Amino acid sequence: MHTTTRRVDPAASQASGQRGSALQLTIHLVLLVLVLGQLVYLASRLRLRADLTSDRLWSLTQSTRDILARLDQRLLIEAYFSPKDKLPTQLRESRVVLDNFLDELVQLGKGKVVVQRFDPLADKAVADKCTRLGVKPIDMQTGTSSSISVDRHWQGLRLVYGGGKQKVLDQVGPQNSFLAEAILTPAIKEVATAQKRKFGFMEWPVQAAPGGQQAPSGIGWNLLRTHDAIAKRYEFQNFKDEEGALLPDDVDTLFLFRPKELTDRQKYVVDQFLMGGGTVVLFADAAEYQIGPRRSFTKVPFQLDAKDSQYKFLDQLQHYGIEWKPRILADLRMEAMRSNQPQEYFGVPQRTPWGQTVGQVFYPYFFHAVGGDWSKLADELATRNGHRDEDLAERYRRFRPGIDSEEFLFQAFKKIGRGPGFYWPTWVDLRRKPGAPDAVDLPVGITGKVMLWSSPEVLTEEPPQSLDPIGQGDGMAQTQQLTQFRNKLLERLSSEPRQQAPLMVEVQGEFPSFFAGKERPKRPAEIKEEEAKKAAAAAKAAADDGKPDEGKPDPNQPPAADPLAKTDPVGPPAPKTEDEADAAAQPVAPEAPQRERAVKPGRILAIGDADFVRDDLVRQDYAQSGGPVSVNGGGFFSMLLDWLAQDRELVELQSRVPTDRTLTLVQPSTATRQDPRVEEQKLRTTTQLLLAANIVLPCLLLIAFGFLVFLWRNAQKRAFLHSVQAD
Amino acid sequence: MRETLVVFRRELQSYFLSPIAYVFGVLFLALQLLVAGLITLRQGGQASLQAFFGWLPFVLLLFLPGLTMRLWAEERKLGTLELLMTFPVRIQQLVFGKFLAAVTYLAVVLLFTLGLPLTLAAYGRLDWAPVPWGYLAALLMAGSYIAVGMFWSSMTRDQIVALLLALVSLLVLYALGYPGIIEWLGPQLSELTPFWARVAVVTMELLNGISPYKYFDSIARGVLDTRDLVYYACFCGFFLYANALVLHGRRHKG
Repeated sequence: MHTTTRRVDPAASQASGQRGSALQLTIHLVLLVLVLGQLVYLASRLRLRADLTSDRLWSLTQSTRDILARLDQRLLIEAYFSPKDKLPTQLRESRVVLDNFLDELVQLGKGKVVVQRFDPLADKAVADKCTRLGVKPIDMQTGTSSSISVDRHWQGLRLVYGGGKQKVLDQVGPQNSFLAEAILTPAIKEVATAQKRKFGFMEWPVQAAPGGQQAPSGIGWNLLRTHDAIAKRYEFQNFKDEEGALLPDDVDTLFLFRPKELTDRQKYVVDQFLMGGGTVVLFADAAEYQIGPRRSFTKVPFQLDAKDSQYKFLDQLQHYGIEWKPRILADLRMEAMRSNQPQEYFGVPQRTPWGQTVGQVFYPYFFHAVGGDWSKLADELATRNGHRDEDLAERYRRFRPGIDSEEFLFQAFKKIGRGPGFYWPTWVDLRRKPGAPDAVDLPVGITGKVMLWSSPEVLTEEPPQSLDPIGQGDGMAQTQQLTQFRNKLLERLSSEPRQQAPLMVEVQGEFPSFFAGKERPKRPAEIKEEEAKKAAAAAKAAADDGKPDEGKPDPNQPPAADPLAKTDPVGPPAPKTEDEADAAAQPVAPEAPQRERAVKPGRILAIGDADFVRDDLVRQDYAQSGGPVSVNGGGFFSMLLDWLAQDRELVELQSRVPTDRTLTLVQPSTATRQDPRVEEQKLRTTTQLLLAANIVLPCLLLIAFGFLVFLWRNAQKRAFLHSVQAD
Repeated sequence: MRETLVVFRRELQSYFLSPIAYVFGVLFLALQLLVAGLITLRQGGQASLQAFFGWLPFVLLLFLPGLTMRLWAEERKLGTLELLMTFPVRIQQLVFGKFLAAVTYLAVVLLFTLGLPLTLAAYGRLDWAPVPWGYLAALLMAGSYIAVGMFWSSMTRDQIVALLLALVSLLVLYALGYPGIIEWLGPQLSELTPFWARVAVVTMELLNGISPYKYFDSIARGVLDTRDLVYYACFCGFFLYANALVLHGRRHKG
């Protein structure tokens, strides 16, 4: 038997062994990757998630859950989304938010919410359908090293409820789950709700300022009323018609936007509306100011009551339990006029080493209710020159919190510690007993409350013709003018006792009619008819008397009462046109009988400002030049509508603002006389100190810790050496 | 477990007895707190640790490879690895002990940053609820970086090579999870043929899913998601296991 002995090369064997172990390692790792990949995939499919933030920033609210729970038909959401990997960063973020939101909707919808995704980039038919539906593409410019191109992205939604009612959101790009919910939940509610709530309103045109100027624009309130976010939920109808008709029954809320030149008939319409159980919301302004260049404010004159008006609107309000003092208010407390967003109030652009900023200006006519309890300042306010006036302190202890209401309307404002910003507000209060300012005197069966109060450092005054705090000069002149303006107000403040001004009140109950026992103001058509009848009767009487010469007027007869009857004092009366003859012939339709007492409880909400909803402030026309800008006005108005409609869900959604976590390194001075430079210096020092402490201190602590360890180690070593030497 | 604890204690002691760890700690704290402080500590800023946790992954990326480069490479260079292998300790226990020690060291250093949330709470209304989870996310993120760094350290004898390999691989992983990079790569890939562009996109999505950065954000902002926790456990587990396999290979090679 021949045997051959193969000699094994140790190097080759080692190389082979290494190859084998490398292969083994690779196989091991690949298998491990597969297993772990599966595990991660499963974990992402079967996710459990807990939002641990105290504001629940990353979770759907109970409002959305409730709306979904009430769906009784299928809600189909068609998502027209271009692929995620083709989106730019800003849209990619919002896509993540949207995808998460839609996933949660499907999960919470329990089969009633179905999401279908379509890619308009992949299918032209889908893109065409998008165009038909009104989903708009988002064109964005992107660049590579060699080219610049405009890319088209799609991110729109169509909501179809029960196969019928639908709503298209043409472009959706929420940056966080908060916004996603604020956009999508009202849309879901809109399609799932039968009809829009209807509101009535009356508004009066703005007149020109004296001096032959044009009527200022932007003082109306069209912008908010027609804003998409509001118009999709509510319908507004103007009832300030010339016919003076009573309001229809399907309107239950009437907005009076800055009422002026009110005729008796309009007052009667409001009264009868209240008697029928309606809600009247009054946006009251004591004056109308036009904003000129460099923040000069000029009063546009107006009268509250029409010239030939027999009844006063202030008396009418007082009859219902509301006392409106048409004077403007200035709140000199710094917290009330200071804002985190300076443009909300009034600022002057300033050049700083960090660029152009807006420095806030002392202007106490723009302010907000402060969330805190003012009674706590009673002792401080009653102390002068180190001496406390106990009587005053006792009186001041009855001061009310700035936001004095538990209504859900103010939930968000309470959270941020301030009410909505008001501009040249006025005093609207509950009716009080003469000589007893603390004793409310409401009509029998009426309840009321003040919801917003100013700070106790408020001044009231007749609306001045012009308010120009910074003047028109250079920087130095402006500073001087502002100082003078401020000192004048501060002098007044120091000479008057402290008081709080009520800014918003609500009264409700079965109101007594202001027109009870009075003659009902007639409609213009009725007046016209009466005058026509009188004219006809006079003409007939004249004919019966037998005039000697019909072509000449009788010098003993008074002129015709009807101004519309085009009488010629010399010639014969003008022949009536066919329309006029018809109008005179047609009797005016009778209206509902006058209600002398309420048939249902009504409600009046009086807000001492109309400017927070005025177009130019909401539109931020003056943002670039430092304001004023009504930042919170739109939000407050929208919440007000939801509150009036008792739509708690939507208010909760909109009032879902995160807790104000603004850092206040230096408390803003409440002293009105402090030089702003002192505060600035203090802020700079504090910031630098904090920064240094936060960087240096931990490092020093770590070094000190190391030093202690070093000492301990040395001690250990020495002890060891001692023990060795001792041995 | 006992053996793991022994390794852990020995490693942790070595950290705190070495001046390098303090130099590392001080530099890390100074950079991290400087960046976060400058962004956060200003009048009108937000009492939130968003900036702190936002920058943390990047600062950790710069510092942790320096910490992990020596873990195995130094042992190999000094010849103590062979000695370690003779101890009655399993390689997995060795790896896990060292890993735990590195994470604990970092946790101690992170403790020194607690001054920032305390300052924010003193001057604003800091939401404390997500803060511990932010720190947990930081530790998970650091753990995944340490696992990668340890793996590279076990692959080479040279600490500088280990440092560079760890730095580059972590940078790539960081970049893959960063949306801006994907956006930048997108148009470049579209210039490829459709097939390869598709392959590249799928690969990028896969790699994007691998990046620890992607999973950091939600825990840091206070949303605890089982997916993120499972991911970090798997990521660390994978690299630690790979590390142990490499060491096994070395033991067998003798």
